[in-house]
Amino acid sequence: MSLRDEIRAAAAQYPDQRSGVMSGLGLAQEQYGWLPPEALAEVAEALDLTPAHVQAVASFYDMYHLAPVGEHLVEICTNVSCALVGAQQVVEAFERELGLRAGETSEDGKVTLRTIECAGGCGYAPVVVVDHRYREPTRPDDVPGIVGELNGG
Amino acid sequence: MAEAQSLVLGGADERDLTQLSEYRAIGGYAALEKARGMTREQVIEEISTATLRGRGGAGFPMGRKLSLVQPPEVAGKPTYVVANADESEPGAFKDREIMRRVPHRFIEGCLIAAHAIGSKHVFIYIRGEYGAEYEVLKAAADEVRDADLLGDVTLVLHRGAGAYICGEESALLESLEGDRGQPRPRPPFPPISGLYASPTLINNVQTLTTVPIIIDRGAAWYSKIGPEASPGTVVYSISGNVERPGNYELPLGTTLRELIYDVGGGIAGGRKLKAVIPGGSSVPVFTPDEIDTPADFDSIQAAGSFLGSAAIIAVDDRACMVQLALRVEKFYMHESCGKCTPCREGTRWMVSLLDKIETGRAEHSDLDLLRDVCNRVLGKSLCALGDFAVYPVASYIDKYREEFVAHIDQGGCPYGGESSIEGIVAPVDQHTHSPVAEVPA
Amino acid sequence: MAQMSAAEIVTVSIDGREAQVPKGTGLVETALAAGIEIPVFCYEPRLGPPIGACRMCLVEVEGMPKLQAGCTLTATDGMVVRTAQTSPAAADGQNSTLEFILVNHPLDCPVCDKGGECPLQDLTFRWGPPVTRNTFPKRTFEKPIPISPTIALDRERCILCYRCTRFSSDVAEDSQLVARDRGSQSIITTFEDEPYRAPFSGNVIELCPVGALTSTQYRFAARPWEIQDVPTVCGLCPVGCNIESTTREGKVKRIASRNHPEIDEGWLCDKGRFGFAHLLAGDRVVDPLRRSGPRRYEELSWDAALDEAEQMLRAAGQNIVTALSGSETTEQAYGLGKLLREGLGAHCAVMPEDVSPALDAFRLPLSAIREAELIVVLGDDPVVERAPIVDLWLRAARRAGAEVVTTPIGTSDRGVGAVRKGELATRLRESERAILIWSGPGGRGGAGVAGLAAELGFGEKPGCGAFQLLETANGRGVADAWAAAADGEEDDPEPIELLIVSGDEAAANPDVRALAERASKVLAISMFRSPLAGWADLVLPGTSYLERDGTYMNLEGRLQRLRRAVIPPCPDELAWIAKLAERFGVAVSPHAPQVFAEISERCYGGLDYTGIGEQASLPERSSEVDVPKPPAPAKRESKNGGLRLITYRPLFSGPAVQRVPELQFQRPDPEIELSAEDASRLALEPGAQVSVRSNGTSVELRARVNKLLAAGVARVAAEHAQGLGTHVEVGA
Repeated sequence: MSLRDEIRAAAAQYPDQRSGVMSGLGLAQEQYGWLPPEALAEVAEALDLTPAHVQAVASFYDMYHLAPVGEHLVEICTNVSCALVGAQQVVEAFERELGLRAGETSEDGKVTLRTIECAGGCGYAPVVVVDHRYREPTRPDDVPGIVGELNGG
Repeated sequence: MAEAQSLVLGGADERDLTQLSEYRAIGGYAALEKARGMTREQVIEEISTATLRGRGGAGFPMGRKLSLVQPPEVAGKPTYVVANADESEPGAFKDREIMRRVPHRFIEGCLIAAHAIGSKHVFIYIRGEYGAEYEVLKAAADEVRDADLLGDVTLVLHRGAGAYICGEESALLESLEGDRGQPRPRPPFPPISGLYASPTLINNVQTLTTVPIIIDRGAAWYSKIGPEASPGTVVYSISGNVERPGNYELPLGTTLRELIYDVGGGIAGGRKLKAVIPGGSSVPVFTPDEIDTPADFDSIQAAGSFLGSAAIIAVDDRACMVQLALRVEKFYMHESCGKCTPCREGTRWMVSLLDKIETGRAEHSDLDLLRDVCNRVLGKSLCALGDFAVYPVASYIDKYREEFVAHIDQGGCPYGGESSIEGIVAPVDQHTHSPVAEVPA
Repeated sequence: MAQMSAAEIVTVSIDGREAQVPKGTGLVETALAAGIEIPVFCYEPRLGPPIGACRMCLVEVEGMPKLQAGCTLTATDGMVVRTAQTSPAAADGQNSTLEFILVNHPLDCPVCDKGGECPLQDLTFRWGPPVTRNTFPKRTFEKPIPISPTIALDRERCILCYRCTRFSSDVAEDSQLVARDRGSQSIITTFEDEPYRAPFSGNVIELCPVGALTSTQYRFAARPWEIQDVPTVCGLCPVGCNIESTTREGKVKRIASRNHPEIDEGWLCDKGRFGFAHLLAGDRVVDPLRRSGPRRYEELSWDAALDEAEQMLRAAGQNIVTALSGSETTEQAYGLGKLLREGLGAHCAVMPEDVSPALDAFRLPLSAIREAELIVVLGDDPVVERAPIVDLWLRAARRAGAEVVTTPIGTSDRGVGAVRKGELATRLRESERAILIWSGPGGRGGAGVAGLAAELGFGEKPGCGAFQLLETANGRGVADAWAAAADGEEDDPEPIELLIVSGDEAAANPDVRALAERASKVLAISMFRSPLAGWADLVLPGTSYLERDGTYMNLEGRLQRLRRAVIPPCPDELAWIAKLAERFGVAVSPHAPQVFAEISERCYGGLDYTGIGEQASLPERSSEVDVPKPPAPAKRESKNGGLRLITYRPLFSGPAVQRVPELQFQRPDPEIELSAEDASRLALEPGAQVSVRSNGTSVELRARVNKLLAAGVARVAAEHAQGLGTHVEVGA
């Protein structure tokens, strides 16, 4: 199925296909890795929306990437519950291991490191989300292993 | 010690309730069948009698909400059930556990609610980060569909994409309709005009998951659990500096002291408790003197805070309250949707002032200004997020003022880099979301 | 609103004063009824339901614990409201809102175009904090950002009231101007900084309550205390939107809306808003010109020009043909008609288009479209290209729940069959609120659609009506005036001794050019030089609708007054027509009101010129009209293999638009529109470059699918279809 057809099929679940914009953005991001303008235009075309509207929606949500991200995405929750039990030490461990600052992508495009707001793992803090899979809790000691996995995989 | 009472999560320790067969083995979907044998009014009556108060944060009685929804034949349009599974209050992680462990009980609750309002459409808006939970729910939904339990009801799982504000019901509806998740003015409230301008019941995951239990065992039985005004159990999410963080289902009204010291095993490493956030990061803080308050809607409110999503965060004495305020406020600044003025501008200004205090550049007048900005935002924004952005900061200032003053007097953080949250990097400090058009002044 | 009139009247107490209003009236309006202002930024009822975003309107309402956004509340009986005038809490709320708005507002009022007419300035002056407590650097952006060649955006000034984005998504429904990002990072933008290219974009400038969205034409052009606003009427299409013409030192600086609730509701199209700049075009004719060589002209004095004109007229006698544009004022057309017909017996005129008084029996204000439940649009042109504002009324109707049936463009009978027979015809017959709109050529000036309306029984139903979207701004007035100017039979003169070309639209008409080939002499009245080069013997300067007094009759049949906003660079037509008429013993007043009085006596029932007022009313439906026959379904020839070509005059075209640099981006791309069916049959991807051939001509155009096109039909803007015949072959 083409991306356009997939987007339309997902939108068909709703009484109004306009509701399909988020699932459409999700599908486009899966295909492109992020949401370049042409992906936004494709979602718009599939759902009979304007690219401007689609971009307006996409830019509202944190999980849509309007700039390129690495092949792997490492996200660290630094909200209150994680912060209280050492999230910053985990951030720093990743920064050290990856040679990146939070918010950066490695030069080879392999890894993006960023902090995120509460991921809903407060009881298993600090929470690290690697490629959308929760690693909870993650201690600074666990970081070299995770980075090793990313480099190996 | 408080008695654990597993209702919402009942049976999940013993069996894999993500499987339809297992759930049915403990009587699952019998409540749905029972409810479908009842009239709509009877179902609503049962839930009203049980005094089931919404577990999403506001504590609004579900029975009242149900009775406000215009049935399709009166409204002349379809009605909708929307399950708010966009759990994003910092400190709360109970809905995630419910969906992961008892997805069928949750779906059953959604279907009973649909029957109660004559709706043929259920939407579950699940936060985008909950990928594993989405998969569990999806598998459960497929099983339910294959087992013909849906009847003529369609069930759609809608994934969010990372926006705290979408936990606010009207913002959630905007998002579900394919727009930016910005709250709508209310009235009209969703029961009158919600999704696609149609009557809509919108409830939190835990609330809906409680419904089959009430239908199954009866309102009379249910309403005897916990305090009279807010009976039943709740899943408390305990986190922060406790020995045994986690989700614990207990009767409402368990005291904060019990939750922290008995259930949560006390402060980790034998340290001293400094502060307790009783309902997720958005509510006013309690000092250790206030922890004998029973954690139910009314008692916590009487003590000056909110039970919210029953997310209890314990803070030990290593944390700098100014840093904590700054971190919390950066969250609300990041999550402010940008629609209304006080929240959008106020959160940004508060972050600037807190940063100035933390970094020792502030004067006493800045603290007064900060407190005044809190007052100026409070009660003036379109939705509750503006208030949520104020409650923590205002309460930290009011209850830990000496720490703020010390920052000003000493020209810097008195913790000297030893605070447990020193240097914490918030997402708003990064610029990964999208290119920012701002240029330096 | 009709539904409101029956509503229960409720009493609301506001600051101790009682207001009695229909239940459900907005609180802002309710307060106004009590003489109290609730200040607002984001609230604008024309944009749809209130959004409660800016929080400027905070009030205290008895029984509600928090301050409420007044704009989102409606009047209920016994409601007790206290605004900032009497409630310290509300006053503090408003003061807070302003303080927050100003935290990041640059306060660059001295260099802001909005300064002096800025709601933010005014509300801050009345309700705002006297001091700035913010000591942090304000946000700064690159500025100004060109949202389009006509609109500049200064993001620092933006207060995120979302008026502009709501207009874009909820009124014009183009969804091109949007908010991006979230929270305090939110910005107003277009997709990837592409220009905001839509017919109504300029309205966002007027909607902006601060100086964030400004007109590039008006940028740094004037301060509000140096300008004069002249209330007049747009003359660029038959709608006749009411406008305010802002002038400074004798020049038009901008055009703004002047809300006529029945005609335009305060919206303007970009052609009407930005088109005024043609007044200053470089090829403007300001002195009379006489041809002195094949393509050369010399200026001559007015005395000499009138002598020459007199000689030409005398020499031609009755053998004169006058080609009219439909942009003349009624008075100008009458003066010219009287001179030629009474003075010379030269009765022959080429009218710019057919017009029909039969429509008067089915007359409704344009605003009735929004109240309708069923609307059928017939004809071959998209509504927006003929009468742009009507497009907004149709969108409003659709949002209000109406069904709008649009016949596919190029249907063989233009949709007439379905209206006369079948399910749609039955529903039209049964509806109490149905409207027919003819949008395109071939409607016999409205007689066709009037015939259909008569057949459907619309004459007896006050909520049902019919409109013909005419091509010219005053075609009806010009036709009335010419007819009223004298009695006498029209005869085709042979040979044509003199062709009088009145106006630039007539000059651009190929049929008129063909007549010129047959005429011995040509006298042209024209604003611009270029279209006449080489074929007019004498050119007299013309004026624009913004430079004249007089009347125009719009497509509803409503007479409206033009008021001279600026003095033209030459005497206006009526002035020299009067002088010339004198030489033939014909009395024509040089003053529009006096000429109008004469016309009115003859065909407008003695309607008084001053009585037309600044907001003209619509005459009652006339019942003494000969009802024409409905149009006969015209069979259109089909040619095997080829596509039937419809050429059209785009909204952004014509002598005025051509001369406005800022509007060039709005002109149509070199495109050919194809139906989805033909595009797939020809295996053409959207955007593909194709060659379009006919009559031995080949034109390279880009293919675009238009879902509104009938199969077998292609559509190209006239300016890109030169040399193409009625049928074309399309190939890669």
